[in-house]
Amino acid sequence: MIRVVRGLLLRAAVVLTGTAVATFALLWHAPGDPALAIAIARYDAVVPAEVIDQIRAEAGLDAGFWPAFKAWIMPLLTGDFGQSSVTGRPVWPEVTTALSYTAPLALMGLLVGILISVPLAVLAAQRPGGWLDRCAVALASIGAAIPAYWLGLLLVLLFAVQLGWLPAMGARTPAHSILPALTLGLGVAASLTRILRSGLLEAREQPFLPAFRRRGVSHRAIERDHVAPHAAIPVVTIFGLELAFLLEGAVMVEVIFARPGLGSFLINAIEARDFPKVQAVVILTALLFVTVNLLIDLIYRALDPRIGAQDA
Amino acid sequence: MRSALAVALALLCFALIGPLIAPHDPTAIDIPNRLSPPSAERWLGTDALGRDILSRLLHGARWSLGLAFLVSILGLCIGTVAGLVAAQGGKPVDWAVMRVTDIFLAFPEIVAAVVIAGVLGAGTGSLIFALTVTGWMRYARVARGIGLSLRSRGYVVQAQLAGLSSLAIARWHYLPSLLPSLMVVWTGMFARAILGISALGFLGFGVQPPMPEWGTMLLDARIHMRSTPLQMIWPGLAVVICVLAINLSGDALRDALTKEDAPQ
Amino acid sequence: MLTVEHVSVERGKTLVLEDISLSLAPNRTLTVVGESGAGKSTLIAAILGLAPCTSGQILWAGAPVRRCGPALVMQEPRSAFNPVLSLRRSVMEPLTARRARLDDNRLKTLCDGLEIPPDLLERRPAQVSIGQAQRVGILRALIGAPPLVLFDEPLSALDAVTQKHTARLIADLQRQEGFAALIVTHDLGYAAAFADDIAVLRAGRIEEQTASRAFIDAPQTDYGRILRDAAFSLGALERVA
Repeated sequence: MIRVVRGLLLRAAVVLTGTAVATFALLWHAPGDPALAIAIARYDAVVPAEVIDQIRAEAGLDAGFWPAFKAWIMPLLTGDFGQSSVTGRPVWPEVTTALSYTAPLALMGLLVGILISVPLAVLAAQRPGGWLDRCAVALASIGAAIPAYWLGLLLVLLFAVQLGWLPAMGARTPAHSILPALTLGLGVAASLTRILRSGLLEAREQPFLPAFRRRGVSHRAIERDHVAPHAAIPVVTIFGLELAFLLEGAVMVEVIFARPGLGSFLINAIEARDFPKVQAVVILTALLFVTVNLLIDLIYRALDPRIGAQDA
Repeated sequence: MRSALAVALALLCFALIGPLIAPHDPTAIDIPNRLSPPSAERWLGTDALGRDILSRLLHGARWSLGLAFLVSILGLCIGTVAGLVAAQGGKPVDWAVMRVTDIFLAFPEIVAAVVIAGVLGAGTGSLIFALTVTGWMRYARVARGIGLSLRSRGYVVQAQLAGLSSLAIARWHYLPSLLPSLMVVWTGMFARAILGISALGFLGFGVQPPMPEWGTMLLDARIHMRSTPLQMIWPGLAVVICVLAINLSGDALRDALTKEDAPQ
Repeated sequence: MLTVEHVSVERGKTLVLEDISLSLAPNRTLTVVGESGAGKSTLIAAILGLAPCTSGQILWAGAPVRRCGPALVMQEPRSAFNPVLSLRRSVMEPLTARRARLDDNRLKTLCDGLEIPPDLLERRPAQVSIGQAQRVGILRALIGAPPLVLFDEPLSALDAVTQKHTARLIADLQRQEGFAALIVTHDLGYAAAFADDIAVLRAGRIEEQTASRAFIDAPQTDYGRILRDAAFSLGALERVA
């Protein structure tokens, strides 16, 4: 077990390092002179060449790829995300502020998704092929095909523009969070319903269940002790995918609803070519992702004894 | 399920002949008739610059579906090669290739595509690059998995003994067994690419105006949500129908393949 | 001349083959007999260079074995052929890989010798019987005229009648072609009837290597005796039935 954990940790470290290099390489090769971009963003006017050179030296842009990479990564290892190349203010506080908007939104989305999908999947799996099951499958298929941004716009159109029940733009009051959370949650619900339903159906088809039934074990006990744990395994693995979906969704939702958060922070940083901010978001997301996937891997191994220490 | 396949094929044909049957020029600006509602002449109305929405949708199919097709096929090629190299190359090569795959998977695909396309600057080239770079990993994993299981098969060992090159072994002994599964992955990735292209278009990082692309059209339509809400419905509906048809045909394909495997 | 000198093979931390030494001259047949798990398949893999040796060396005429273009006949004949290709394509593989031309006469002679009807090669592996597939497997092994042919349990997937027939065909072909044959089998009756020498493999070690006649008359080790007695009491039963 210790060997497995060590292998997984090594993998996570390699992946994170790779992500850091890849991101830095991408930004390094971005078209345009980053120093000029910073100068324009800072002074909003035509600047003399000396000033641009000064900015270049200051940002470590004249040193070449690996020295520049080192100058970025070494402070990062101690938790220093550097300063915005546009405003000069530290990146970290701004990122945490953005995160404080996105995290609750993602959690609410996940909650909405679970609240919809769990009852729906359980009801659908009661009678496979029945009308309820068909409806659930159809809804899930359609839900998976609807892009988050279009769903968001449709909800705004219906509840904000036509009916006028809910506010659409910004994040001032809790009511402002209802439509964004719903947008995210419906998408989560679509994929979760599908996976949960097929997990439940598969769990019911385990070959030893009829023997239990014949021996008089109650339906309730079978569902609780043998069906639910088996169905839980795919659900655990799917949380990694749901996290990806929530992050992707959050980017789109924050743009549509003009909400502050990690997504709009990222888009604004890209548009302003404020690369330290972009790097910070990318590294944090990768860190989150790798950590969650690591945990999922471990939980998965704990839940399913068939996956031994074979492949680390 | 067969109907889903029919719809998917029809959509592809549509993307090819769409521009031919479009009733108007998709970029012709007609300010006096801007934001007009659906009428006998303009079935779906006009947009903020008076351009015919139906014609833009039909031309847009070429961008949205055509680019998605291109991107998913590029991903298929890159991923299959990577997966086969991992499966055939022995342990260290396999480890290295799979870690590279992990690096690209360490990030939600669409967000990565947004960052790449955004940083490289808006345009079709960076759009294709961004979506290809973020869209090959699933193929690689599937190709590697099946490839590893084939490696000890009798006929692969025989081919090695005969002195066939790795390339020939990949071509004749691995690829035929891989293709069905790769096709199933491909349908999923094709659908994802459609969603990705329209998402990037909607964020302004995708296909640039005045080219009609469904995501970009949605971005334009969004501003006029209050006055002409219908304008916003069409491009979204087009995306949903395409993605749904492709996903369902992928499901049908997978079911057909698992049924075929079952009796053996 | 195949020489296996002090070869050991490790899988993970277990020693699968330990200090194996064997030799085999052209035109001769050596059978390696042993129980399941004795390391017979690993020995074949090691000779073909598919499993790395931890120590020792395996040579054909002083060079690595793979350089002489050895051929292998597998235990499970159907899976030795790509299911989607015609048998002809698979049979031609040793030639196409070397860009060698096919000698039609040779193909015809081999097919006649192996009793393969001409149209059989156009079929897919699933469309022929196991016995036919195994004969095509032998055809593929011999098409490139290899000096060394390894047989990994060549008869065990076949029924009793086909077994005898196929064993006969292999022996006849060897007389014509003059290749060195290394046959791995657990069927001591087969080994005794067709081989020049018998090597007994037990738990990764060679217990003894004797001329087959001499082995049947008087095995040199206790384990050899047990093997022989077990095989021939079963053989006696078979004859009665």
